[in-house]
Amino acid sequence: MSGIDKGYWYLASYPKSGNTWCRVFITELQRLAAESEAQELNLNRDIETGAIASSRHWLDDQLGVNSCDLSFAELDPLRGRAGESAWLFAEGERFHKVHDAFKSPDSRGRAVVSTAGCRGVVYILRHPEDVVVSLSHFFSWPMDRCVDYLLDPTAALVPGERQGGNQVRQHMGRWDQHVRSWADQSELPVLVIRYEDMLSKGAETFMALATFLDLPAEPELVEQALANTSIEKLKKLEEQVGGFAEKPEGCERFFRSGRTGEGAEQLSIEQRKRLAKGLAEVMERFHYEGSTSD
Amino acid sequence: MHSYTAFGLRISSDLQLPELAQDLAAATLAGAAVPEISIAEGSHHDWPAIPALSPHSTPTLAMAAADWRLELEGVGWFRAWDGTRLSWERWDDSVSNRDVRTFLVTSGIGALLIQRGALVLQGTTLVREGKAVLLLGFPASGKSTLAWCLLQQGWQLLSSEMSVVDAQGLVWPGVQQLKLWHDSAVALDLDWQQLPLVRRGLKRYALGPADLPVAADPTPLAFIYGLGRSKRANHKSEKEKPKEGLITTVEDASSSSEQELFRAWARKSEREALLKLRNHAYQPRFYRAMEQEASLFLQASQLLKRVAVNELIAPDGITTMRSALEAVDLFNPEALFREEKPLAAMEDEA
Repeated sequence: MSGIDKGYWYLASYPKSGNTWCRVFITELQRLAAESEAQELNLNRDIETGAIASSRHWLDDQLGVNSCDLSFAELDPLRGRAGESAWLFAEGERFHKVHDAFKSPDSRGRAVVSTAGCRGVVYILRHPEDVVVSLSHFFSWPMDRCVDYLLDPTAALVPGERQGGNQVRQHMGRWDQHVRSWADQSELPVLVIRYEDMLSKGAETFMALATFLDLPAEPELVEQALANTSIEKLKKLEEQVGGFAEKPEGCERFFRSGRTGEGAEQLSIEQRKRLAKGLAEVMERFHYEGSTSD
Repeated sequence: MHSYTAFGLRISSDLQLPELAQDLAAATLAGAAVPEISIAEGSHHDWPAIPALSPHSTPTLAMAAADWRLELEGVGWFRAWDGTRLSWERWDDSVSNRDVRTFLVTSGIGALLIQRGALVLQGTTLVREGKAVLLLGFPASGKSTLAWCLLQQGWQLLSSEMSVVDAQGLVWPGVQQLKLWHDSAVALDLDWQQLPLVRRGLKRYALGPADLPVAADPTPLAFIYGLGRSKRANHKSEKEKPKEGLITTVEDASSSSEQELFRAWARKSEREALLKLRNHAYQPRFYRAMEQEASLFLQASQLLKRVAVNELIAPDGITTMRSALEAVDLFNPEALFREEKPLAAMEDEA
């Protein structure tokens, strides 16, 4: 049976929230379930869960034009249609990473990803204070700039309108807008998981993930896959391959600490208060504590 | 009606197409004196239904063996059929001629050429000393920026964005326009405020045949280079400042000497080279949907008997690349070969 027949899923998240960990876990779980050769996971060879939904090459193929010739206002409404064809997704590659918000200000109220044939979305979120710290390492940006970024309603990944790139512009908006855009949409079944629960309640959270994604959900397999993709293991695997391919220049290592609570330790009170004030409603909804100091 | 010659074909068009050469004395593939392609405004309501829609069609592309239709919301409708006719219709009155022709001279003519059985590769071809070099690359891979730098070194532009190679290994003059992103134009010290926009609303500029040294004759292809980006450059482009909207420019990066050099390596196996050409056919989906894929493979195989395919990684940063280019002879790829294929190279095979 082809992957097409089985449908496809999105793994959506604000950047640095655990998306890659999920993809690595899925790959490992599938590998264990298939009882393929006993080779260890190779980060730069095996993590092919599916194209990112913002791939320019993929969109150009679907649209039949060079998307560089389209403005964001023209492209965003078209992006969701680009996936309506059932033959879109390559066999076996059924878990597509998305960093876009579900809709963009340019998408005329439409989803920027295809919903036709999509079986659902796993939305992964993480404490915004920890996202700031992780982004700071990833982009080599100062903390203050990362705080601004999470609070910026126009925040986007790739590229400015003054430059091309392998991916098209991905509008994210403010962190809380991003969360709500996915968690509250009603076009796709959604499983919301918190990074913190992936760490502290791993077996339970990843069992839910495997079940939702229609993956082999035997507890032993899930636990083994989880053990094989612990942050310590991933750090070791990253060393083995001489750097994960998704690591940007200037970023020392992709899999860094994976800890929770770094934001509370490393951000200033003022920075934490800005986040808490700007993102209060969604933080509270997902049980994230911010700075309450006056 | 306006008359042009491009891709070895005579073209008549009710829209001005300044991206194409007007030289009617130029040679054509079939020696034709009458237009082989006619481009005219029409109404998509008049187009007949497609009886056997290809399964490779998409929501924006309806395709069959000799019929290709593009519905581009907000821009217009386009139809290419029988390898001879290209029809267009604006979405509404806000769509300018420039908007229409942007897609006519790329996807529209590309579809017609595929219907005619041509080998159309996604790349820009430049000429020097009577020999052509084809730079293969997906959109935003840096073809135009590199081409512009080469033009400053005495090369001439033969065909941009897509290149037609015939059975004799000749590349034919095609669309002769370089599209440069704003950041490239700035890094290349161009007076961008004086440059025409590719389309209104884009920060991308179009340099046409009037602004560039262009070649008018079909030219034997000497080398093919697949343009790659270093992993480093690729990831840099994924970072954007939240407000300024501009990423750390590629100039900012400190570079090691290795990263300041052009690097190349040969596609040694025929299979790899063939795959490279297949993947860099102009819109491979058009080939599949219009049942021309077998012809594509055949022609690509024939081409590989004449021309070697190399990979080329340009240094990060336009200024660095431009200065490194002075020491590069694209007719001598071996001089660019390093000991081994660079690990950082991004493989772009789909």
